[in-house]
Amino acid sequence: MKKKLIFISSLFAVCMMSFAFTIIQQPKPWPVPAKDAKIANPVKSNAESLSAGKSLWSLHCVSCHGKKGLGDGSKAAQLKTTPQDMTLASFQSQTDGALYYKISEGRDDMPSFKKKIPDAEDIWNLVNYVRTLKK
Amino acid sequence: MKKHNSYSSLIPGFARGCLLIVLCSGFGNLMAQDTTAKKSTVAADTTAAAPVVKKKSYVKDTFEGNLLIDDQTVMVPIKGTFAFEIQHRFGTVQHGFSDAFGLFATATMRLGFNYVPVNNLQIGLGASNEKMEVDGNLKYALLKQTKNGSMPVSVTYYGNALMDTRKQDNTTTLFVNTSDRFSFYNEIIIARKFNDKFALQISPGYSHFNNLAGYLDANGKVQPTWNNDQFGIGLGGRLQVSDGMSLIANYDQPLTQNPAQNPRPNISFGIDMRTSGHDFQIFIGNYSSLMPENNMLYNQNNYRKGEFLIGFNISRLWNF
Repeated sequence: MKKKLIFISSLFAVCMMSFAFTIIQQPKPWPVPAKDAKIANPVKSNAESLSAGKSLWSLHCVSCHGKKGLGDGSKAAQLKTTPQDMTLASFQSQTDGALYYKISEGRDDMPSFKKKIPDAEDIWNLVNYVRTLKK
Repeated sequence: MKKHNSYSSLIPGFARGCLLIVLCSGFGNLMAQDTTAKKSTVAADTTAAAPVVKKKSYVKDTFEGNLLIDDQTVMVPIKGTFAFEIQHRFGTVQHGFSDAFGLFATATMRLGFNYVPVNNLQIGLGASNEKMEVDGNLKYALLKQTKNGSMPVSVTYYGNALMDTRKQDNTTTLFVNTSDRFSFYNEIIIARKFNDKFALQISPGYSHFNNLAGYLDANGKVQPTWNNDQFGIGLGGRLQVSDGMSLIANYDQPLTQNPAQNPRPNISFGIDMRTSGHDFQIFIGNYSSLMPENNMLYNQNNYRKGEFLIGFNISRLWNF
């Protein structure tokens, strides 16, 4: 009986330890100022724009957001905030202006990209590409 | 042996003058570029009007970064970029497993810092363990290739001044005056991005060494081994094979005929991998120095004899 008790409590301890030292990821709503959300995308979503957007996506975004925007990039597990699944309608329903704002300003784990991508047209190209991730 | 000729006392001042002229003309170009460069702006105001975005006319990312193995690329990073470069070359591979293909042999390395304070101008400092050399360098984008073809190539100037900081000891070092420690390198890099995946560049270069070793001939007279002025040309290319990875290759050909010893050309090829904050290159080539003027003059690694060495470049980029 004693042996059984020790065995069960050890098993329980091991199970608890199996998710010790992990960071609890929380989804976190991200409000965007109304004036930024209303800004219209001046760049047409043509082949050239999408190609430029895809290059920027691969270079700057894939490591956290994953290749398809699912939030499963190689660095994603280390983040405190869960990257949202970009394929879902709940993500895609936000305006181009809101996406532009988020890329430009960043928040917490997500860096601000306005210095790394100083040309507005490039960020709009990235917004156009992000739209193609929709399922 | 110190080589004295009628040029050596004039050249340090002359070389300094050249650098000064180039710097001043670079400044003039900078002013001109400010008035004609097309910039994109976002007007975010409370009326929520669509931002004015002028069509960006320059091609982007001709190469992945500042370096193409041993050469500089035509690229100058965006304003506010601070880069830390680590460059490393191992020993030659010829000894095979006995020294792990050069990995365990003596290595040369350089650490460098670059910053882009204004558009198109990069300044840098570095130090190399080869002859305890420190360098200051400057890179300026003179012309940039446009998307509509009105400017078919990008043209960049790169120059450095190199100082050998070893102690004067009359056995291994030859410095009588401080100016003897200096050498200079200047090149013009001309590049074209042919499509999203492929780019080529050609770079004629000129080095000047204030002081070079000579030798005593049979009559006990000092004879020069090399010319103090060297010309050479480099050809480099990059082929993107996937997002973030490219194949890179380089060929450098010294052109000057020297009195007693001519340097050998360089063939190098490797892989470039780029991420948001880093640029990695790993490659194999003949050049063992991290400074272009040293490679151009002193390289004796012969590609026909398989005298190749493994090397890597790592750049870490920050944007301020």
